[in-house]
Amino acid sequence: METRQTLTFALAGNANVGKSVIFNQLTGLNQIVGNWPGKTVERAEGKLRFKDKDIKVLDLPGIYSLSTFTIEEIVAREYIAIEKPDVIINIIDAAFLERNLYLTLQLLELDVPMVVALNQIDFAAKKGIKIDEKKLSMALGLPVIPTVAITGKGINELLEAAVQVAEGRLKLKPLKVRYGREIEEALEKIKGIIEEELSGLLKIYTSRWLSVKLFEKDEEITRKINLMPQGKEALRKVAEIISEVEKVQGEPSEVILASERYGIIRRIVNESMEIVSPPKIKLEEKLSEITAHGIIGYLVLICVITTMFTAIFYGGNMLIEGLEYVLIDLALPQTRRFLLNLLPEAITSIICDGALMGIVAGVTIALPYIIPFHLILGILEDSGYLPRAAYLMDNLMHKVGLHGKAFIPLIVGYGCSVPACIGCRIMETDRERFICGFEVVLIPCAARTVVILGLVGFYLGIHVALTLYLFNVVLIFLLGKLVYKTLPGEPMGLIMEMPPYKIPSLKNVLVKAWVRTKDFIYIAFPLIVIGSVVIEALKLTGLVWFLAEAMKPLISNWLGLPPVSGIPLIFGVLRKELTLILLSELIKLASLTPTQMIVFSLVTMIYFPCLATIAALLREFGWKKALGIALTDIFLAILIGGITYRLLSL
Amino acid sequence: MPSQNKMIEVLETVKSIEAKKEKPTAEKISKELKLPASEVNEIMEKGVKDGYLAQRDGAFKITQKGIKIVKEHQQKYVHEKMHQIGLIGRITRFLEGKVINWKKHWRERHGLDNHSLQKFYNAIDSLKGRIEETSTIADLDTGEEGKVTFIVGGRGLIRRLSEMGLTPGTKVKIVRNAPFHGPIEIKVRGVSLALGYGVATKVFIKKVKEAN
Repeated sequence: METRQTLTFALAGNANVGKSVIFNQLTGLNQIVGNWPGKTVERAEGKLRFKDKDIKVLDLPGIYSLSTFTIEEIVAREYIAIEKPDVIINIIDAAFLERNLYLTLQLLELDVPMVVALNQIDFAAKKGIKIDEKKLSMALGLPVIPTVAITGKGINELLEAAVQVAEGRLKLKPLKVRYGREIEEALEKIKGIIEEELSGLLKIYTSRWLSVKLFEKDEEITRKINLMPQGKEALRKVAEIISEVEKVQGEPSEVILASERYGIIRRIVNESMEIVSPPKIKLEEKLSEITAHGIIGYLVLICVITTMFTAIFYGGNMLIEGLEYVLIDLALPQTRRFLLNLLPEAITSIICDGALMGIVAGVTIALPYIIPFHLILGILEDSGYLPRAAYLMDNLMHKVGLHGKAFIPLIVGYGCSVPACIGCRIMETDRERFICGFEVVLIPCAARTVVILGLVGFYLGIHVALTLYLFNVVLIFLLGKLVYKTLPGEPMGLIMEMPPYKIPSLKNVLVKAWVRTKDFIYIAFPLIVIGSVVIEALKLTGLVWFLAEAMKPLISNWLGLPPVSGIPLIFGVLRKELTLILLSELIKLASLTPTQMIVFSLVTMIYFPCLATIAALLREFGWKKALGIALTDIFLAILIGGITYRLLSL
Repeated sequence: MPSQNKMIEVLETVKSIEAKKEKPTAEKISKELKLPASEVNEIMEKGVKDGYLAQRDGAFKITQKGIKIVKEHQQKYVHEKMHQIGLIGRITRFLEGKVINWKKHWRERHGLDNHSLQKFYNAIDSLKGRIEETSTIADLDTGEEGKVTFIVGGRGLIRRLSEMGLTPGTKVKIVRNAPFHGPIEIKVRGVSLALGYGVATKVFIKKVKEAN
């Protein structure tokens, strides 16, 4: 039994080709979703048994190429080159063969054992496209298995082929990607330089691949070579070779290679694909037409958002009420009574009001919103609606330094910051993700809305509350522009595929929602529990009064608030609506001056995101950026609060 | 008196005929530009006088000075096409005044590094035909088609677009435009792609005339 070896398969493919559906078909619930070390890129890994073999399957992020445009591409490339999985399963969309084969060619150049899954052949057939998989297989020199991921058709054959390739029972004669004569000559010269002067790199990459990447002026490889002793000299020689070819061809080298690759692909496609009948996808096209329409599209968008909000928050609230009743009204008092019999009061307090209360807060705040959010995001992702929404909102999002795709996390932010932070990962580059995350936490979530409406809205009137919201929008607009201008890196406009509409697979949506929620629990709960214990301990030891005393100059002199209001602000870190509840316990709300109400609401709106949000930020951006965002927000809250106090008391 | 615009038109044509390794004669130019031969002759004589053209055994040759003003004109054209992005762009352009040092301008205002700048110059240098025959994706209407000629932008943008299939010579069809300078949906190699308006103004194409 112990000699049974584990095989590793990696799934690679473009976005929207049904890769995650195949992954879920292969592994079911037997999977772990996390992040790639140090990167905000989702990493999904699963296990399965097939004919007495243990197989580890890794779902690489969806990519269009193996260059270094997005972090996803770097992650996928490094994994394939360094970890060397036994087999790469390249999933390609039969309906968009030409574009999909671009990645396939690049994978071929990496020289790894590979099997091709020709997915969504049913949809291609509807479009009138017929692909001869035998001819395609001959042309690529790889096994090509037709699949329909949603129904599971062809999955067993795919596994069978992959296992055979892994065990060497199926010999491959992979296509050798060859370019035009001038380019090949240049590549040969570069290869010579690499073998002579940079042989250290050959342990990881093949010399052919390195020369192709150097010819394309790949940033990542160039950076690595620059650090080597003879690197600079070698790069200079390579640059000379490249500029000669560029002069002759009149195009930059990366464009030359892209054109050549598409030329090779054109030949393969001409051989193996034919259009046999006119497309029969009227409904799909009608839907595209309506949802991207200049007027109707926006109406549809409003409907979708309203539905999404209602589902997330009504669904979430119902869950919260149920859970709160069970946990806070029933379970907690029982536990406390039980523990009091065994332990001294102080420890019981720490356990019940700290640790357990923290867990309860996590369960009752974050989870009820996160689960429906992930379900709905899954449906929007899998159906193909998300790109349409991004298309419609691109214009507006440019005003806050982002592009269309950021619309989804920003709008979700009005509900709960936690799923909104997680949603930032739909942006392509680290830069865009960070800007998005920064803006998302500034948006008043439902809990902050409670404070604004309960204090300012109730005592001063709804128009003041709306003014605060408007101020918030302006603030986000200004800060977004500022971060956009100051953050290094090339700002990216929108370049996005508009995939055809599909009916999402319920199983896929459920599995995705479940594993993503699970991942959040693992990361966020320890933090929430520790934070709650610390705050409870502060309270028990009386340190909290000391802290409030220390904060007094800030609270009363700079912000002009009653000195005790420092305490609710500290506890607000747990959950934002607590600030108002605690404040009303400490002083009569009606005794506050209008200025104090406005300042208090403003500070609550902007300062430190709640623990669960910090956990989500940590999960998505790493501690440095999370801390950066949190500290900036505190600073901003104090600054704006103080200025407002002074302006309003003029 | 021939206008400066006509002069540049002629010079551009001379350059493009030279690029085809042919001899630019007044006859060919008048055919290409659909101008009367007498007018072309007049312009070319002035070109020789001003030092933009050199005459050698019946054929003309463009001089360094001529190449310089053509290049400047081409950059100005590309720049104007890229700047149809609304009022603010226009106001800043007005306030900045005329661009004197183009190289500096591309670098400082458009963030092109040396590498992408060189690429851009190579692209307009190897252009076959006059720059006015190209325009950007943002210029086309729904349903119109064009072929990619070059892209002005940083490394990341050019690489990304060519990987998505927008390589020179590729056919592009406009599927729909969003209102108010929103993104533009195009069809390229069978795939629908949405390009933000800013991206679309950087992709230069040659319009394909509808076959009638």
